[in-house]
Amino acid sequence: MTGADAHTLARRDRRFGYLLTAPGLAALMLVITFPLLFALFTSFYDYTLLNPRHDDFIGGENYLEAWEEEYLAGSFWVTLKFVLASVVIEFVIGFSVALALHAVNRFKTVYYLILLAPLLINPVVVGLLWRMLLHAELGIANYVIGLFGISRVNWLGDIGVAFWTVVLVDIWHQVSFMAILLLAGLAALPREPYEAARMDGASAFRCFLHITLPLMRPVIMVALLLRLIFAIKTFDIIFIMTKGGPGTSTDLVSYFIYRAAFFGLDIGRASAMSVGLLVIVLALTTYLFRYMRSLR
Amino acid sequence: MARITLQGITKTYGQEVVAVDAVDLEIRDGEFMVLLGPSGCGKSTTLRMIAGLEEISAGEIRIDGRVVNEVDPADRDLAVVFQNYALYPHMTVSGNLSFGLRLRGVDASEIERRINVTATMLGIEGLLGRRPRELSGGQQQRVALGRALVREPVAFLFDEPLSNLDAKLRSAMRTELIKIHRDLGRTILHVTHDQVEAMTMGERICIMRDGRVVQTGPPLEVYRRPVDTFVAGFLASPPMNLLNARIAGESGALVVDLSPVRLPVLSDREEALAPGRDSAITFGIRPEDLHAEPVPRNAAPLDVEVVAVEALGPEVVLIAALPGGEEISARLGRDFSAPPGSGVRLYADLERVHFFDAGSGRALGEK
Repeated sequence: MTGADAHTLARRDRRFGYLLTAPGLAALMLVITFPLLFALFTSFYDYTLLNPRHDDFIGGENYLEAWEEEYLAGSFWVTLKFVLASVVIEFVIGFSVALALHAVNRFKTVYYLILLAPLLINPVVVGLLWRMLLHAELGIANYVIGLFGISRVNWLGDIGVAFWTVVLVDIWHQVSFMAILLLAGLAALPREPYEAARMDGASAFRCFLHITLPLMRPVIMVALLLRLIFAIKTFDIIFIMTKGGPGTSTDLVSYFIYRAAFFGLDIGRASAMSVGLLVIVLALTTYLFRYMRSLR
Repeated sequence: MARITLQGITKTYGQEVVAVDAVDLEIRDGEFMVLLGPSGCGKSTTLRMIAGLEEISAGEIRIDGRVVNEVDPADRDLAVVFQNYALYPHMTVSGNLSFGLRLRGVDASEIERRINVTATMLGIEGLLGRRPRELSGGQQQRVALGRALVREPVAFLFDEPLSNLDAKLRSAMRTELIKIHRDLGRTILHVTHDQVEAMTMGERICIMRDGRVVQTGPPLEVYRRPVDTFVAGFLASPPMNLLNARIAGESGALVVDLSPVRLPVLSDREEALAPGRDSAITFGIRPEDLHAEPVPRNAAPLDVEVVAVEALGPEVVLIAALPGGEEISARLGRDFSAPPGSGVRLYADLERVHFFDAGSGRALGEK
């Protein structure tokens, strides 16, 4: 086969490839690219639900307003706290569980099933479930701690408690993701360095420090970044459990934007804020992909 | 310095699987012993039990007379070099070398001295600041070896350390290991499935099969006097030709009946073969004991048909069919050539033939 023939063949293959992916790409355009561009476009207009028309171009004013919005800054702060708290605690618990399960030989499947169960539940259902369990008057949580003589906690209504309640529910829901990802990493580690360390007389702690951690670094990074990206976008459990309250104590950015759009009816400003959030998530995702590519 | 003695060493997994079956072996002080066998024969498991990485199901391991069955691997004062190098990934070469010494509380100046000596010996002085992933396979192997050497243990255990290297590097490392053994004079147990390694490196080799020791001895002795058809067929490439045959003829004139070919049996071998007269045996002859020209000593002609001629450069391997149809190989001079299908007369060196029991495979009438 000559070079020219191979060239034509490659081109024909590529054209066929486009043909096959076209329906999928068209659907994606419709449900992702179009809304994305629409939001970007709208963010430059004074577009409200009272006047849903692109007739008042205001340039970067929506962005400027959002930037100066005090409540948005507060919401960012809550989000940062939420993301850090849940991801760090999930990592610590997830890694401990992964290490423990890695050492277990019997009933592994049973543990896996138990671990996977929360992940299989829809986030809205998780929110509803916990809202009932944690109900201040009727919830089973307060009943159980009451048996031990501990006074009732207003899990979702107390301004100091609600934030941590939401963090805990998020951990309950997402920790298995971390554990399973890390467990897969542990299972893929080579056995020999540990044996070399045993011959060298290293303790279990030193093995962990000098072998497990450095070898697990790529998996840990990917797990943390993935969870970080997901956590920043958290919306469902807030929507179901607290609606950002009490006060603004659980008002995550995604919920703040939702309120601006559907309670404030100011679609233009909400669009500007979502574009901002998108840029942050996109930056993290780009970093994640760069990092994963550098591993190869 | 250490003498390692294995007595009835057994490793079982669960009820059924016996990986190592009552192995007796003595590795003498300062000896280079090679444990050779096909994969799954239990040789690595044996090494790992000596190292303490694998529990011993039965039997006793002694180092210099002391039973070490229950001794922690770190306290046996042995060093292992693993097939996959097993370096500590985030430590520099120098960190890898010193890790075991630091854990043992050796003082800093002594550690530095040993690292320098070892690095110079292995030619890795220039790599001390690098991390394992910045090294080639061959360099990693040297560091792994260095990590064992700096410890100055009483004995070294090598678990197929050369099998991940390319052919050229492997042969260079073979020479290097022999040199290191000569310089240090320490006991070495080297596990391998490569018979060239075993033949060239070992002072003695121990051949294992299905968890048992088949034969132990100096390489040439094992080569010349294999105790059974397994050893005969395992050592050397191409391996010994093993043919179904019968012992026939009268006392004083026994013959090997390869139907239809018959080869005379030399008189000094008759005594051992006489009881087996008229019974089936396995007849063995190494490819290099078949010649294209008559040899000065006792030889018998053997007419064969050429199947293929493999010219390797320094020699030619002839694959040929006996009149009965069985194929044999012969190593001939580099100038030999013959077209496939043609007839060739070979000469079998009758002083170097082997007889094995057809049932058990055990050697018969070895001198």
